[in-house]
Amino acid sequence: MSLISNVQSFVAEANRTTDLAELQALLQAAVRELGFDYFALVHHVNIYKTKGEAVFLFDFPSAWTELVDRRGYFIDDPVHVACEQSAAPFTWSDVPRMIALTDRQREMLHAAKLAGLEDGFTVPIHIPGEYTGSCTFSTRGGRAIPQANLPAAHYVACFAFEAARRLVQRRAAQRGSNAVLPPHHKLTRRQLDCVVLAGRGKSDKDVAQILGISNQTVHQHMEAAKQKYDVATRMQLIVRALFDSQLAFADLVG
Amino acid sequence: MVAVVTANNRSKYTGLIDAMHADRKRIFVDALKWEIPVVDGKYEIDQFDNDDAVYLLALDPRRETHLGSVRLLPSSKPHLLGDVFPMLCDNGVPRGDDIWEITRLCTAPQLRGREAWLARSYLAVGMVEFALLYGISKYTCVAETSWLSSIMAVGWECEPLGLPKELNGESVGALTISITPATLQLFRMKMGWRHPVLELDAVAKAA
Repeated sequence: MSLISNVQSFVAEANRTTDLAELQALLQAAVRELGFDYFALVHHVNIYKTKGEAVFLFDFPSAWTELVDRRGYFIDDPVHVACEQSAAPFTWSDVPRMIALTDRQREMLHAAKLAGLEDGFTVPIHIPGEYTGSCTFSTRGGRAIPQANLPAAHYVACFAFEAARRLVQRRAAQRGSNAVLPPHHKLTRRQLDCVVLAGRGKSDKDVAQILGISNQTVHQHMEAAKQKYDVATRMQLIVRALFDSQLAFADLVG
Repeated sequence: MVAVVTANNRSKYTGLIDAMHADRKRIFVDALKWEIPVVDGKYEIDQFDNDDAVYLLALDPRRETHLGSVRLLPSSKPHLLGDVFPMLCDNGVPRGDDIWEITRLCTAPQLRGREAWLARSYLAVGMVEFALLYGISKYTCVAETSWLSSIMAVGWECEPLGLPKELNGESVGALTISITPATLQLFRMKMGWRHPVLELDAVAKAA
């Protein structure tokens, strides 16, 4: 399926789907035609905790999804962290060159192989004012990424994500959910600087000295950031910023 | 407000058109590093800035400042996709009286946050109104693939004209964007406006 006509008919069919199950089936077929075996189409949010509705469609071997659930791998998934660094698609083998992996993230990539996932091709989805998302296509053990089909896969990923996003928005409107897709609690550059340094164990006084601003200003940045996340402590703030991929673990240990 | 500037009324807008070319140079040449011609060291002007081009200019209420603009070209005449990037269309370049091309969409570099959002929104609704007034059913455009999701998230109905290709290290592709009365309804609802944004007297004179 490297021909444009296949992509065009996928786009037309995806736009006609009226529910997520239909889109799931369509995507399953398209992924196989492209030379992949599995897919994940997700917003990078904790699906069990978000109040609003998010894109969360996947077809992975159960050995892998159970492991992800049990070990909470979605919290610091290295592929999701890499998405924050990139507008362009990448393969899983690129990830160690894109971000500084923690031991746990290295273990995660290894565990994916053991669970029968050979490699993956991930398209980051960045939409202003929304959670980052991604569309990943992956291959089963022993099967290489179909390099020649990557341009087609890139488009299928983008159009599939948009179709899913619109279906999720419509479902939310029907259910009367107030927050369709909760907005990113984007911290300002300066707030982020303060949170990074606080995460490295610095006091407000140290942060002020490093950034060349007053203690009072540092305090204000930290308070404003806590307010954005509606949390009370610095620890909660750091964890939430990490979880939203506003921070990478590398920021804290680097 | 959004002014419609054609070959017929361009003499009334010379200052603003100059400001547009200067802002285009700051954005596309200085910031985005596109390798395109610059005139007099400060204006970005190419071979498609000719009498066939129609510009939509987002202006401040006093009509003194260029807040953003877009260049529209009929696909039946020379245009960027047809003459420079035809290789992005795997099944030929779509042409017809009801197909126009979007190029050089930009907002003034000094705008921030809500101001930039407003200028972009005015231009988006302006493009939809222009299409409906002029009998345009599809726009074509060349877009970096990394922007595709953001473009669609605004509400534009996109279809690919070819697989994305690597040009100067960027993945780019040709798209069509379908425009219907429902597009106008959707965009006005999103922006929370009921009024038209195009200056209607200018449209009448330009036609």
